[in-house]
Amino acid sequence: MLPFTFIIADGLPVSDQLEHAVRKAIFTGQLSAGDIFPSVRTLSQELRISPTTAHKVVATLRENGYLASRPGIGMVVRTPNLPERSERLDYLQPLCRELLREAGDLHLEVEDVVEALRQAAEQRGSGRRPDAAIHATEAGAVTPKSNP
Amino acid sequence: MKPIIEIRNLRKKFGRTVAVDELTMDVPEGQVTAFLGPNGAGKTTTIKCLLNLLAPDAGEIRVLGADSARLDSAAFRQIGYVSENQEMPLWMTVRQFLNYCRPMYPAWDAAFEAQLLKQFDLPLETKLRALSRGMRMKAALLSSLAYRPKLVVLDEPFSGLDPLVRDEFVRGMLEMTGKEGWSVFVSSHDIAEVERLADRVAIINSGRLQLDEAAESLVARFRWVEIVLGTEAPPPENPPRNWLGLEVSGRIARFTDSRYDELELDGAVKKYLPAAKQWRAQPMTLRDIFVALARTYRLNGSHQPAEGNPSPAKDI
Repeated sequence: MLPFTFIIADGLPVSDQLEHAVRKAIFTGQLSAGDIFPSVRTLSQELRISPTTAHKVVATLRENGYLASRPGIGMVVRTPNLPERSERLDYLQPLCRELLREAGDLHLEVEDVVEALRQAAEQRGSGRRPDAAIHATEAGAVTPKSNP
Repeated sequence: MKPIIEIRNLRKKFGRTVAVDELTMDVPEGQVTAFLGPNGAGKTTTIKCLLNLLAPDAGEIRVLGADSARLDSAAFRQIGYVSENQEMPLWMTVRQFLNYCRPMYPAWDAAFEAQLLKQFDLPLETKLRALSRGMRMKAALLSSLAYRPKLVVLDEPFSGLDPLVRDEFVRGMLEMTGKEGWSVFVSSHDIAEVERLADRVAIINSGRLQLDEAAESLVARFRWVEIVLGTEAPPPENPPRNWLGLEVSGRIARFTDSRYDELELDGAVKKYLPAAKQWRAQPMTLRDIFVALARTYRLNGSHQPAEGNPSPAKDI
């Protein structure tokens, strides 16, 4: 079993999705510093993905300081400081684009979307949590739209 | 890195039927390459030629750097081969079968054999004849992995396997992960079976190579496009070649863009469908891409390569 949440979405490179899921698990505390990170073989077997893909993701995470190799153990998790606000905001971009596209289809403006977000936040605050499912679109679905 | 399999102008006929026609492709080392195509496309013939189980009519094949027509037993000790129609000594029990295979491979890894036996839940004292198809395929895979071959060739390994067995099979195969330069060449008529496993996808149709590309690049360049038109409009007469399967119905137009670029698509939509109000482009799974391509090949005539272009795929 993998020690972090990962639901593969269709039609996007698995490597990007996996890297994103691991970074997110580190920021949210699902993985913390010193945790043993699954080997390339485990990743590949658990997710039924190509070893090349798994290897690539581990190498990228290591380069970016999220993993470090510990002799005799393998890879362990490192927790860099909470990234800059701008980087964290970047994580929301794909969802924002999706939201704006949906809003555009409904002829709603940005202000309307902000209002809807406020409403949702209030409902959440009063205990009526919206569906807790974490949707896989956050893996980076970029759906462009144009209004000629 | 040198390819682990090199195929040059392979041709094989059975009577008047051309099974494989001028096939040229490389299988890179250290990757999983999926060899896809409908039943009867020439996959098995190609695989049999490259393993020297069939003699090609023309062309050259090199496997692990050696001429495939001269593959010797030393080369075969580095190749694991499992086929849908594997001939197995059905009168043997699983134990007898493994005892029979073991001495042929000096590199046979008994600990790995034991691990796979346990993982595959294979009954040692049952005769192969009495095993289910899935169990028999697992036994075949075990006997082809236990000596840790450098190249694994699988011919339609999943057909007729139930999802659980298929999953066990894939997991078992991935036990090999970590071996230096380990390469897999797997044929299938159903891309969904290898969707996430494949680093590279080659598609063969009617004996001809239609496409040979990294899976990530395919996923990056294909998009399913839907356009909402302001008013009903006929489909454009000469749409761009990268708009596959264009259909217009009422005020909706749909197609598969095989060369997706946001700006270019926006320009092309304005030019070819001036009535367009808005469009959206969605990423596609390898399976959807495969279906869109298969439909296009059929429309274009399966044996007709694009004009003056020996490899029609390059155009799509």
